[in-house]
Order: sequence, then structure tokens, then C-alpha cells
Amino acid sequence: MKPRTKMAVAVLAGSLAAASAVYLAAGIRAVRTYAQALPAHQLPKSQGGNVVVQLCDGQTTAEIPGLKPGQRMTRAQALEFSRKLMAEWQRKHPDRGWVMAQAKNPGAAQAPAGSAAGGSGKGRETIAGPGTSSAAKFKSQQGDTYASFHERDFVIWKAQTDTFVEQGNKIFHSAQLLGSTIGVSCDMCHPNAANTHPETYPKYQEQLQRVALLRDMINWCIENPVRGATLAPDDPKMRALEAYILAQRKGVPLAYGKH
Amino acid sequence: MAARHKSIETKYYEDRDCVLRALRNCDRRTFLKISAATMGAVLARGLTPPHTFQLVEIAGAATGPAIGKGFASEGAAGSRPFTFAYISDAHLYERTLNQRFVRAIVKAVDDVNALDPQPDFVLYGGDLAQLGEPSQLETGRRILSGLKARVKMMVGEHDWFLDLGEKWQQLFGPPTYSFDWKGVHVVVLQSVYEKDFWTARKMTPLERMQTVAGLDNALQSRFEVGEKQREWLKNNLAKVSHATPILVFSHSPLYKYYRPWNFWTEDAEQVQAILRPFNKVTVIHGHTHQMLFNQIGNISFYGMLSTAWPWPYAPEGLPKLTVQMNRADPFDQFDGCGDGQATVLAGGTVDKVYNLWDRNPVTVKASYLRSFGKADRPPAPQFASY
Amino acid sequence: MRVNPLVAVLFATVAIAIASDAAPEAAPPDATAPKPGVMAEPKSTHQVGFPAELYKLSIPADNPQTPAKVALGKALFFDPRLSVDNTVSCASCHDPGKGFTDQQPTSDGVHHKFGQRNAPTVLNAMFNIAQFWDGRRATLEDQARDPILNPIEMGMPNQQAVVKKLSGISEYQDKFQEVFARAPNYGDLVKAVAAYERTQIAFDAPFDRFMAGDRNALTPQQQRGWAIFNGQGRCMTCHGWNPTRPLFTDDRFHNIGVSAHNAKFVQHARQALALLKQAGGPEEIDRLAISTDISEVGRFLVTKQPHDIGAFRTMDLRNLFVTQPYFHDGSQATVWDTLDHYNKGGVQNPFLDGGIVPLGLSEQQEDDLAAFLLSLTSEQFMAQAKKEYQRQFKISRTDRPQRDTEAAIGLKGRNGPGFGGPFGDLGPGQKYMRENPALLGGD
Repeated sequence: MKPRTKMAVAVLAGSLAAASAVYLAAGIRAVRTYAQALPAHQLPKSQGGNVVVQLCDGQTTAEIPGLKPGQRMTRAQALEFSRKLMAEWQRKHPDRGWVMAQAKNPGAAQAPAGSAAGGSGKGRETIAGPGTSSAAKFKSQQGDTYASFHERDFVIWKAQTDTFVEQGNKIFHSAQLLGSTIGVSCDMCHPNAANTHPETYPKYQEQLQRVALLRDMINWCIENPVRGATLAPDDPKMRALEAYILAQRKGVPLAYGKH
Repeated sequence: MAARHKSIETKYYEDRDCVLRALRNCDRRTFLKISAATMGAVLARGLTPPHTFQLVEIAGAATGPAIGKGFASEGAAGSRPFTFAYISDAHLYERTLNQRFVRAIVKAVDDVNALDPQPDFVLYGGDLAQLGEPSQLETGRRILSGLKARVKMMVGEHDWFLDLGEKWQQLFGPPTYSFDWKGVHVVVLQSVYEKDFWTARKMTPLERMQTVAGLDNALQSRFEVGEKQREWLKNNLAKVSHATPILVFSHSPLYKYYRPWNFWTEDAEQVQAILRPFNKVTVIHGHTHQMLFNQIGNISFYGMLSTAWPWPYAPEGLPKLTVQMNRADPFDQFDGCGDGQATVLAGGTVDKVYNLWDRNPVTVKASYLRSFGKADRPPAPQFASY
Repeated sequence: MRVNPLVAVLFATVAIAIASDAAPEAAPPDATAPKPGVMAEPKSTHQVGFPAELYKLSIPADNPQTPAKVALGKALFFDPRLSVDNTVSCASCHDPGKGFTDQQPTSDGVHHKFGQRNAPTVLNAMFNIAQFWDGRRATLEDQARDPILNPIEMGMPNQQAVVKKLSGISEYQDKFQEVFARAPNYGDLVKAVAAYERTQIAFDAPFDRFMAGDRNALTPQQQRGWAIFNGQGRCMTCHGWNPTRPLFTDDRFHNIGVSAHNAKFVQHARQALALLKQAGGPEEIDRLAISTDISEVGRFLVTKQPHDIGAFRTMDLRNLFVTQPYFHDGSQATVWDTLDHYNKGGVQNPFLDGGIVPLGLSEQQEDDLAAFLLSLTSEQFMAQAKKEYQRQFKISRTDRPQRDTEAAIGLKGRNGPGFGGPFGDLGPGQKYMRENPALLGGD
């Protein structure tokens, strides 16, 4: 990152940091509330006590004869009833076309030839910044429910991503947030996350004597050189640290197992 | 059998306790006497007072050869070979917080004290403290006073930016000074000045210190020797013959390696220009915590190892002549760390030993640098930094 | 009476020649040398946790395993006639009944001379990347060459004398002929011994069954021990286990501070390092090694590399409770003593490996680790190991010469005099216990 850009990010980050801390806390609470308030699907009762399934439109349903609650459908049954439900939906909505996005673009499912060997990574990036030609490109897709994005969306995504990474940045640089008992933080040995090489995981890690993921090594470092308590894999701090470290290596080809 | 094992371990600590207790006692009473006497003697001879006020320096000066005798008029032919040791970048926290870094510098003191013959002096390369606090500096001073050889102190940014050098100078004297030793002119610089980045941001002294203590933030200014000190250097060298070997001790590298991490001296070119007229110049610097060496024209540069932790090599700007050390294994707190010695050869050039702990020492010869890599290349590592 | 020394030497040589030539079988082998029992039988490779890949890599191409060769090797392994006075066999120090060790701090050789190092086990020795505590021999064949000729082990004067003695024993004439199709010679002798030693593989421990999916193979305490082994104890880094190399060793050499038991260690080490800088220094170091007890500098004698000062090979932890006492000098009587040694950060010396730091383990955690280590015992040795575990457990309740709780929790020691403090360079304590230790190492 060029120094000037970095400065801007740092200033931006300063103001975002406090907000993001609130966000992280609030985020967890929000998820819990949402889980409690999740609306249950209202299904018609089956006369014979059979399982009734419903399409995601919340209206179209079908009863599976002979299948009692707790039993599993066979694959053939599942295919048969999903086709039936879709046919029913299409019958009810002859005016609305159902677009199979992947089917329209068969190349998307396959990795571009030679991608494993590296390359610049351009053309494979899915998050484009605002102000690029992406806005124009996506205009042509309007009318498409799930793939129509405004330039604003990109700004939101980027701000969220940067906030997440900045949260990791703060933890990475703070012995206190890392819970170090001896005043040691990650950046003391890894400025800009140098020599963390996240792109080389999974790999056999001598300290652990097993194949490790990046988070395993982060935890090992927290426990040993940093002298703190290890984090659960889904701890917000762990996620943020991973985000920061990976962000520092943007553009570096993946090279799992490299030593 | 158990008692025997115990007793050896205990003895080890008792011996050390005994030595340091003696030195601590000396610290309080004898020190004042010796330093007063030495100061008197020095002043009586019409010499400038020594700049390094630490105990060992002055205690040694009372019996050993006096530093500051005028060798300046002698040429290269007059310089005699000698060895000095170095310890650098200990980054001490208060000992109750972090024993690891204390343990490491104590190990370095052990190493240097075991050298036979003893080096002429020990250069301490700066960053004695991690956050410049008086307790950190005092802990370091106490440990260094366990050295048998006299100590030459240099200041680093971690010592400086809490109180802008107040405590450090109180303990060790002015950070800029020079002396002549066996025909070599030695200059010690304060090369970690920074332009004021803190006032406008309304930083507290601790925030200022913490900002400088990090490498990868863009908030701080770059290191510089500064105009005033460059002027001092010019004047200091005016009297020195161009044939006299020059040794410069500087915490920052005195060249431009990697700006984002402040592996950098903003006015490096101007300082190099002042040193250019001299035939043999060697810069020994701290700060970079890695095997690092460079040759720019007539000037050979050697970075020192840290006792506390190794820095990774910067993503760009690494001098071509530098042969990297292996990536360190964090399981071993000593790996990638160490201390070392430098041998000033008869001609006034310098071979340097990187005494890497838990690895074999590596010697980088003056002939390697001064031939621009054509001769005596050190062995390449197995695992480069990335 | 003045005797020409040369004549005296000649005389002695002839006397030995006569003694061994005359009637080797007439001098009965020492009845105290161990006899081959059920424990000495070649072991099946059908053991839980057996590393098939590693096994293949560990059989040299020029010495394939054959039943006849193994049988010959076994006979030689138990034959005290390989020693100068027919008292010491390989099995004297590597007794199958004692986990292929002698369970002594250092070993009793011919004429009751004692060496300076603890006899390591033959069990799984075939997988070692180097043999002896200092790794001075690469293979079991090369290893077997040395003790027979070592004056304080089996004491034979030279290879020729050994071959001559063997050739005088009719059963060996036949067997060597059968296996190698030639008369006995020293190279074939060590090949046969090595082939027998390669049958002594020991897996099939509760730990192996646990890793194979039997969740009840380890007690809850042993599972806690395994988590500490991987975490706060920092054991795993050097005593590393994985399914491809299921041996609890990194095959490397470390100074863990045992050398410093010897009062002169530091002095010797400095002396040796100084010699290294001189011309002819390495040879001088070898001479020193013979004339003094400089052998505590360990691996350094082999490599002459400064980083190997005081370093010894990391030992496999399997079957610990039948191979006591511990460390290269056999100085530690119980597993608890070794744990105490690590817990306090080893014995301080200027060459101590930087990975050896105080661990801050509690008594309970040490007990858990000891219990876990019992789970590394192969089924065949389990009954014996359990007894020894109980014996050591009892001792550990009252006698803990290496325990130094203050050093372990950082109240003193590590950082030199006058620098005690309430916070040490410690592990984080029991704040985090891995949920499922069985998942470790399985990927």
C-alpha cells in the first residue's frame, strides 16, 4: 500500500474503529434477536400425517405420501417433489421467468485455465471499487432481482470490509487487545504482517507438529511468543486478525504447503 | 545426586548474585568516588569530559587506558587492530512485566563476559528500553553494568521519544560524542531525530512513544541526523586526516533501505557526503534486528542483531550485498537474535561477527563488502524471508 | 625385574589370542547375562499405529530382513562371548525384560566399568535418524560396531579378534554360512544384529488406539495430559507425533540444560569453542574428549558446530515407564523429575536452547502429563509399566529433587540475579483446553 493511501485509510480507520467495535458487539446481539424472532413457516396439515414441504415463495406446498416426520426422503423422491413444486410455481406465474444464473454462464463454474499458476489476479476479483466501469456494467443487469447492484453497494461493501480489516489491524498492533501478559504484539515481529505468509496455509507447522491453518498458527503465536490465552476459531478477534493478515497479502498467489 | 544438581544451579545464581551485588554496591558508593576522581583527572589533563557516564566506563577508565588520548593526528598506518563487542536492541520492559527480554540481554552480557581476550569495549547499539520509561532504562543500565569491559552507549528511538531523551541523557550523558581508539576515530551519533508529528495531533508523550515504537504506521516522521548534528560532525571530522579509519556508530542505518518501516535515514546522503573524503569508513548501526550489510562507495555498513526479536526483511530495498539470515523459529526465543563482535583490522577496515544464538556464528568480512561481493561471500540461508 | 615393554605387550596379545583361540566355548558364558525370553521375540508389524511408510524407508537396501538373519542376529545379541571376558552381551545393557535397557543411570560394562551415558532402548531404534545420544552413527549397523570394541562396554581389542573368536564357534560358522554364504566377518556380524534389532518395533499403545478412534482408550486424565502436551507444556514441538512418523521425537539435538549437571560443562564448552577457532582444533577436541569428561558437550563432539554445544538427541517417549531412568546421563529417576526439569525451564547455562522456558505447570498438570505418558506404553509392556508408574507416582508424592515451583512460575531464576518478579515468562495457564484432543495430529 502506498504511504499516502495508507494515511487516508488510517485516518478513516480511526473514525471507523470506535464505530466498528460497537458494530461487532451490536452485531452479535442482532443475530441473537433475529434468531428468536425468526418467523416459522406455516404449513397446511397433512391428513395422513405425512411430511409437507413448501417452496421458498411461502405458498406453494406439496405432501410427500408415506413420508412421516423424522424420516428421510430418498434422492429420487426429493428430485421428484422439487420438480413438482417448481412446475407448480411456474404454472401459477406464467409471466415471471425463472433465470438459472449459472446455467446462463456455464464458464463461471470452472476455474480459468492456468489460474493455479498465479497471474495478476485481475479479472477474477469479484469486489470492484466504486468509480470503476463496474457501475456501468451492472446497469445492464437491472431487472434482475439478485444481481442488480448500485455503486452505493460497492461503497458499503468496501467500508464494511475495510472496517473488519482495520479491527484486525488494531488487535494485531495491540498487546492489550491480544491479551498479552508480557507486552508483546504481533507487529513487533511482523510489521505489515510480513513473514506471516497466510497464502501458504494449510501447511505442516513444526511448532505444532501437524498440518495447520492460519488460525492455528495465530493461536500458537498468541499462546507462546505473545503469552496470552488462545482464541476460539470463531472469536471475533480471531476472525479480524485473519482478515487483517490476509488483506496484507492481496495479490499474492496462493501456494498451500509452501515452506 | 539430586542435591548435586541443585547445588550447581544454585551456585550459578549465587555467583551471579554476588557479582551484581558487588556492582550494585559500587553503583551507590564507589561509583561516585570513582567518577569524581576520574572527572577530576580528565579535567586536569585538559580533555573534554567523557560523554558516557555509565559506571563501567568510568570505573574502567580509572585503571585502564584512558579514552580520549589524541590519536587523531596519526594516519592509517598508525591504527592498530582491536576488537569490540556489541549488544543491541534489547527493548526492555520493566522486568516484572517481561522477563523474556531481560533474559536475552543477560545472556548477551554472559556471552561478552566470556570472551577471551576481552574486547576493548562494548558498543550498546540503542533501544535499551521498549517505551523509554525510566524504570526500563534503569533496568538496562543495571544489567549492562555487569559487563567486564567498558561500555559505549548509543541511543535509539525507543529510548528517546517518551521524554525526548531526558532520562537517557541523565543516565548515560550526551548522545553525540566521539573518541579515538588505537588510531581509529570513532563517532557516535543520535540518528533517530524525527520532525514533530505529535504536536499537531495532540499526542501525549506516551502516544508519541508508542507511535515511534511501531514500524508499520505512517504517522511518524522519518529518522534524521539533522542539520545541527551534521554541522557538529563536519567540525568534528575537520581535524581528522583522511587516511584515518573512521568508525561511525548510529542507531538508524545511515542509508535508505525501506521507508515505510523507517529502516531509513532521511538525510543519509548528506551524512554520507560528510564521510566521503575518508578512505575507510565503517558504519555500525542498530534498529533493523537482522543480518544486514551494505557498501556505498567508501562506506561499509553493518547492522547489528537484536537480543529481543528479529525483524523480517523488508519487502523491497534490501541491499544487494546482504545475505539474509534464515527465518527464525518462534518456538525458540533466541532464534534470529544474538550479539556479536567486530574486529578492526590493521588497515582500519572491519570484519563483523554475527553471533546468532542457537545457530552458528556468521562472519562478514570487510573484504566481502569492499570488493562489492566479489570475495568471501557468507553462506546463503535455507529459508529466506517472505 | 625389568621387562621390555614391547615384549610385555606382545605377551599380553598372545595371551588374549590363546585365551580366545584355545576353547572359546570352554569358558562358559556368564550366567548373569540376560537370556532371550518372550519379550525378545521379533514383534509383529500388525500393531495399531504401525507406520508402514516409515518402516519401508527404515530398512536399508543392502540389509533386507530375512528370518535366518534375524535368528542369527538374535543369537549374537544375547551372546556374552562377544565381550572380552565373556560377561557382557548386547542384552546386558539392552535387556528385553527391561524394555531393552538396563534400567540403570549408566551401564555396567566389562570389569564393571561404567560409561557416562544412559543406555537407550532398542525399541523403535530402527526409526532413529541417527544412533547414540549424540547421533554419531547413522545406522543400526554402524551403531553395533562400537560397543563391542569399546573398552568400557564389551572390551574386545579389535574387529579381527572378534571375528577370530566367532570363527572358533562352530554354530556361528554354520549360521554365517547359511545367511551370508561366507565365513564370519565383522560387517556381516553387525548386519545380523541390526536385522534383529529391526524386529523390535513397539506401537500398539492406548494412545495409538485412541488415535485410531477408540475414545475410551485414554482416561479423561490422560486426555487432559494430551492437551497439555500440545499446549502449555510445549512438549509437542520436539516430541512431535504424527501418523506418518508416530514417534515422539523431532530427530534433532537440543541443549535442554542436562549437560549443566556437570560442574565443568561451561568451562569445557568454552574450551572446545576456543579450540574450534585454531588450526587443528577439531583433532584437539577429540583428544580432549578421551582425556576428560568433555563428553557433556554432546553433539558438538560429532559436528564441531557451535550450535550443538551440550545438545543431545530428542528421545522417543514411547514405553517411558519401562526404560527409566531418564536423560542422557540417566540422572532423573522418575518421569516427574523430568517434568520438573522442563517446568522450571531446564538447568540454566549459557548454551541452553531458547525453546526451553519455564512452563508454569501445576502439580495436577504434571500428574496429567505423567498419566498421558503411560498411555504411550505398548500392550506388551503395559503390566510392567503400570507397576513402575505406581512406584514413581508414590515417590513423586514425597521426593521431588528437581521441583522448583518458584522458577517454574517465574519468581526467580531465569533472568539472572536480582530480577525476581511476580510475573514470569509463562504459559497462559489453564485458560484454554482443547475440546477434542483426538482431532490434533489427525489431519
